[in-house]
Amino acid sequence: MKHLLRAIVLILAAACAAAFAADGLVIGAVYVGSVNDYGYNRSFHDALTQIEKQLPGVKLLEAENVPESGEVESVMEGLVRQGAKLVIPTSFGYYDAARKVAARHRDVAFEFAGDGDTTGNFGVFFGQTQRAMYAMGVAAGRMTRTNKLGFVIGVPIGYSLGNVNGFQMGAHSINPKAQTIVVVTGGWSDKAKEAAAANALLDQGCDVVSMHVDSPATIIRAVEARGGMSIGFQSIEARALAPKGWITGLGFDWKPFLTETAKRVMAGRFHGEAVYQGLGQMVVVAPFGAAVPAEVQAAVNKAAAAVAEGFNPFSGPLKDNRGNLALPPNATVGADQMGRLNWYVEGVIGKVH
Amino acid sequence: MTTTPLIISLLAGAILSGTSLLYATLGETLVQRSGIVNLGLEGVLLVGASVGFALAAASGNAWLGLGAAALAGAATNLLFGWLVVTRKANQLASGLVMMFFGFGVSALVGAPYIGAVIAGLPKWRPSWLADLDWVKATTLFNYDILTWLAVPVALAVWWALFRTRWGLGVRAVGENPAVAYASGRDPARFQYVVLLLGGLLGGLAGAQLSLSLTLTWAEYMTAGRGFIAIALVIFSKWHPLRAIAGALLFGGAEALELQLEARGSLISPFVLQMSPYLFTIAVLLAWGGARRLAAPASLGRTFYGST
Repeated sequence: MKHLLRAIVLILAAACAAAFAADGLVIGAVYVGSVNDYGYNRSFHDALTQIEKQLPGVKLLEAENVPESGEVESVMEGLVRQGAKLVIPTSFGYYDAARKVAARHRDVAFEFAGDGDTTGNFGVFFGQTQRAMYAMGVAAGRMTRTNKLGFVIGVPIGYSLGNVNGFQMGAHSINPKAQTIVVVTGGWSDKAKEAAAANALLDQGCDVVSMHVDSPATIIRAVEARGGMSIGFQSIEARALAPKGWITGLGFDWKPFLTETAKRVMAGRFHGEAVYQGLGQMVVVAPFGAAVPAEVQAAVNKAAAAVAEGFNPFSGPLKDNRGNLALPPNATVGADQMGRLNWYVEGVIGKVH
Repeated sequence: MTTTPLIISLLAGAILSGTSLLYATLGETLVQRSGIVNLGLEGVLLVGASVGFALAAASGNAWLGLGAAALAGAATNLLFGWLVVTRKANQLASGLVMMFFGFGVSALVGAPYIGAVIAGLPKWRPSWLADLDWVKATTLFNYDILTWLAVPVALAVWWALFRTRWGLGVRAVGENPAVAYASGRDPARFQYVVLLLGGLLGGLAGAQLSLSLTLTWAEYMTAGRGFIAIALVIFSKWHPLRAIAGALLFGGAEALELQLEARGSLISPFVLQMSPYLFTIAVLLAWGGARRLAAPASLGRTFYGST
């Protein structure tokens, strides 16, 4: 009897394993850059490789350095041909190509990182960093000695301006003398110019620099080389680049959301939705650097907790940096309006147009 | 901390952005003086930047990277030389092909080293300068060997081109290879030598970007600086000393853009971003008429006589 039971259990286990293998999932991810960039691409790579390890039956296919051109369409077709049932195009410029491929393969789930319309097999998602930047501003406002904070942005789109504004509001909340100086490089990945921009900010007396570019690596290294402090963006692993000057940073944590998505696809329950999450979900605060005192860490954690619980710094009345009322009392900038934001908040030194 | 005067931070920024341009411009000046247009300069810079960074990251020694970058640039130019000097292929087409070759090679070489952390070339600032306030607040005079030697190298190139018999030979080949050949000079040999030297300088220009300025490698990080250098060759009328001014002016235009923004200028960031290129266009327009007087007479032409 005992033997029979054990045999049945074994057979059941084997059957389960077989069923799982049949139910396994191939995930295909497409990146615009390298997964070692200490930035945006790495944040996806880190999440997906962990999912591959932790979810039984999941196999990950990755395509790096895929330009936002016609090429991405054939790359995604290739992933589908290799059996991918969940495709994750991670760059904003992949949208049109991803929509086309998704329309041809209704049985494949697409989860696009960015804005867009959804269909049955096409979902969109992104992390909201603008409110979370408020907590980074608190960190910068407490750590600065010159009260001049620098911010390098690639292209002045609404999301970048929102990051700058959140940052300045956080800094101002804790240090009324703090100003944020913005320098625009004109591209998401012009490394030499990013280095020159960081140096220009340091020349002006900025002692804390943050950024919104594809990879924070160059700016963090340039700031570190001159003894400045930095607040990272995109991947929390960037702290390895600045052993002395690292304060903290924002990173993306896609793992919980993409794990859930993968499980849904395996269970056949996927339905395309628009999912935008902020601090505490898709956006996380990076570990603090060694030089950050405990009371500063506490202040940053408090601000981060407030944002995670729903505090929206983008609440009127807010003045822009030319003295005009940008946001009337009781009005707020919601997540869906952030892409259209076109003003700098009071205290930011910079020009939008 | 007081704010640095604009002129000081402009100078600091101009040198920061202009050094790699100067090396690239000097290399291309040498090459064009022998009658060859190398449109593949962007590729040479990329190969130098990637090979230099890869070796510096793998060995932990930036000097090794520097040497490897120069050699890799030279090797790239010699390949180009084989195409256009020995095989007598069209220079413009071959140059563009070499540019794309450089894109591919650099991406391949650099890929494993994206995200690698390197120390970069050691910097040195004379102690009597380090005490000045406006020096301390900027990168001024805190330079590595590439920046300190940029102007001396320009002087050396000028001396070699205009004060030696060898330089006379190079220029003769660029003006009229048939006459140079008839006077006992082998045009192909001169062209290979200047391509080698130009490649060394182009490799150093790339190394300056990755080993000195950015301390990171990213694909296509030269972002058009090779082409700017080709424009600067024309700007400087094929003269190594005017190339110093050209590189500083273009570097200064980029510095002006960033420094004005950092000072809260009221000019649109979009206009500021165009300024280096507007400057280049203006200069090409202003100099355009005099071009014929300065350009090597046989620039871009293939010499068939020596076969």
